[in-house]
Amino acid sequence: MSEATTAPPIAPDSIVQTETPAVTPVIGSDTLILMRDLWKTYEMGAEKVHALHGVTFEVTRGEYLAITGPSGSGKSTLMNLIGCLDTPSQGEYWLNGKNVSEMDDDDLARIRNQEIGFVFQTFNLLARATALHNVELPLIYGGVGSAARHEMAKKALASVDLSDRVMHKPNELSGGQRQRVAIARALVNHPSILLADEPTGALDTHTSYEIMNLFERLHAEGNTIIVVTHEHDIAARAHRVIAIRDGQIEKDERIR
Amino acid sequence: MLVNIRQAQKPKRRRFAALWESFRVSAGSLRANKLRSSLTLVGIVVGVTAVIAVVTIIKGLDQTVATTFSSQGSTVFTVSKKPRVITSREDFIRFNKRKDVTMDDAEAIFRLCSVCWRTGVAANSLETVKRRDKSSENVAVRGITPVAMFDIDAVTIDAGRIWSESEGASGRELCVVGADIGENLFGSEVPDRLIGQKVNVGGRPYEIVGVLQRLGKIFGQSRDNIVYVPYSNYQKNFGARDSLVVFVKTAAAADLEETEDQVRAIMRSRRGKLFDAGDEGFTLETQDVFIDLYKKATENIYFVTYGVAIIALFVGGIVVMNIMLVSVTERTKEIGIRKAVGARQKDIRVQFLIEAITVTAVGGAIGVITGFGLAYLLALAMGFPLLISPWSAVLGVGVSSVVGVIFGLWPAWRAARLDPIEALRKE
Repeated sequence: MSEATTAPPIAPDSIVQTETPAVTPVIGSDTLILMRDLWKTYEMGAEKVHALHGVTFEVTRGEYLAITGPSGSGKSTLMNLIGCLDTPSQGEYWLNGKNVSEMDDDDLARIRNQEIGFVFQTFNLLARATALHNVELPLIYGGVGSAARHEMAKKALASVDLSDRVMHKPNELSGGQRQRVAIARALVNHPSILLADEPTGALDTHTSYEIMNLFERLHAEGNTIIVVTHEHDIAARAHRVIAIRDGQIEKDERIR
Repeated sequence: MLVNIRQAQKPKRRRFAALWESFRVSAGSLRANKLRSSLTLVGIVVGVTAVIAVVTIIKGLDQTVATTFSSQGSTVFTVSKKPRVITSREDFIRFNKRKDVTMDDAEAIFRLCSVCWRTGVAANSLETVKRRDKSSENVAVRGITPVAMFDIDAVTIDAGRIWSESEGASGRELCVVGADIGENLFGSEVPDRLIGQKVNVGGRPYEIVGVLQRLGKIFGQSRDNIVYVPYSNYQKNFGARDSLVVFVKTAAAADLEETEDQVRAIMRSRRGKLFDAGDEGFTLETQDVFIDLYKKATENIYFVTYGVAIIALFVGGIVVMNIMLVSVTERTKEIGIRKAVGARQKDIRVQFLIEAITVTAVGGAIGVITGFGLAYLLALAMGFPLLISPWSAVLGVGVSSVVGVIFGLWPAWRAARLDPIEALRKE
């Protein structure tokens, strides 16, 4: 077994044995995310690649957090873990009082539906569906009845100033408008976290500012926002920045 | 808005919302990929058309055979030297050793059978029938006596009359002809004009006294290409040294068994056979033997035809599976998006299954219509009745939906199992 390429400072097993007792941690009422000694290991043939090794941090409700790092640093892996799209190889992830690291596929789907609102770089809207239907999508899988669904989706679109674009399809909207539809979709189920992955990566500077202003407004309204980005000026808009390098937290600082 | 709304949705409601979404999505995707959808449809349509056409034709054929062979009704049975259907060489030899059924036997039955309603004898041969320069070959010439045989054969007079019993006994050259004789030898003459005319049957001139109503075709074979002559005359001109067939008709189907018993007793005493003493020396049978033979003969053919239809459906199913796999690959990103916002594996699986079922059910419905259409054309060409059963329509749509489920399962399973991260990354 060769671990020469990405030799971790400490073997994962020893950490579990020595530092992490198998007890439920006491989480403060304001703690939304608790990540403790999170590892993500990929097996590439005979080799093991550690995308994350030993990441620990906490996020409280209402924070505006940016996760930065160069490509290959492991920030995408971390985002996938926070967004419950993936499970850690080792370590614990508590989200809103629930131990997500031990959940199965369907439980994760429910968590994504109820707790996470995704905003992607390339918007990821359903091309053939209207803005309204795109925003309704999480509610459909949440089992909300159609009348309530329409109501909630329209309200979410209004909150991103798209009341006049409800029946438009993505190809009839500008990039900024599409991203706002995606944000409305992320917010419609009132998730615990708004999780944005390079939200301005596909937008021009002016539109990027618009979107970032919107994020600021949503934060002011009480939403917890996590933005994953490699752009420093985008990260600078957050109140706290976690920098990732080589699968570990390099820096975790409050900037505002 | 810090408070999370933990919607305590009822599972039932959740299922319905997701199901309805699946219908919307599949309808939308079918509309968006018209060429692909129609290709898939063709696969299923061909299969279902084959099944429906085959089932309908078979039903029509069965019906035709049943009505034709029981045209004398289930109240008629025959007494003869040997069965009409012999399936082995040993039987053939055994039956040929029996004594002929003679006019004496027939008369004994006429005289002694108290529960018989109509009785008669008939013998057939194929002859050439001519009139002036026109001629028909292989016309069935049926010698009968008494005239009650017309009742037993269930034929009715269209024009003219039946010969009287005394005319029949006289041995004169009189005949009652089937509708084809008039048509083939007299052109478009109305049946009434045939009465009193002469036709040449097997080299002798016969006077037409009656024309029969048209009976129609079976298996493309006309049942109207026939000439009835009195038995006494038949015996004289067509050398009826063959064994006779005695026909017995009862007044009601319920009397059949009792009548058969009585006739059997009469024949046994004439053959000097005791009950249960091996071969009776004669054969007593109803028209059912034909239907049984028909069933036996066609069983394998039906089996093969059904097999072919099922293979057609199977091929259709493979087409569906193929197209669904393409669809899953093409929509990987969409699947990723749906999973990211909370679709469970089951939701994705159901979505793709519903899509497969929608295509196959629509294909099935179209197939039912074209299948009936095809059956209609075939029935028209072959002279069968068209029996459309609503069940076969239900069956067609049902079976194709099942095909959709079976062949949609794997693509749906693959779609559901996609890793959301990989799926979202795909362009």
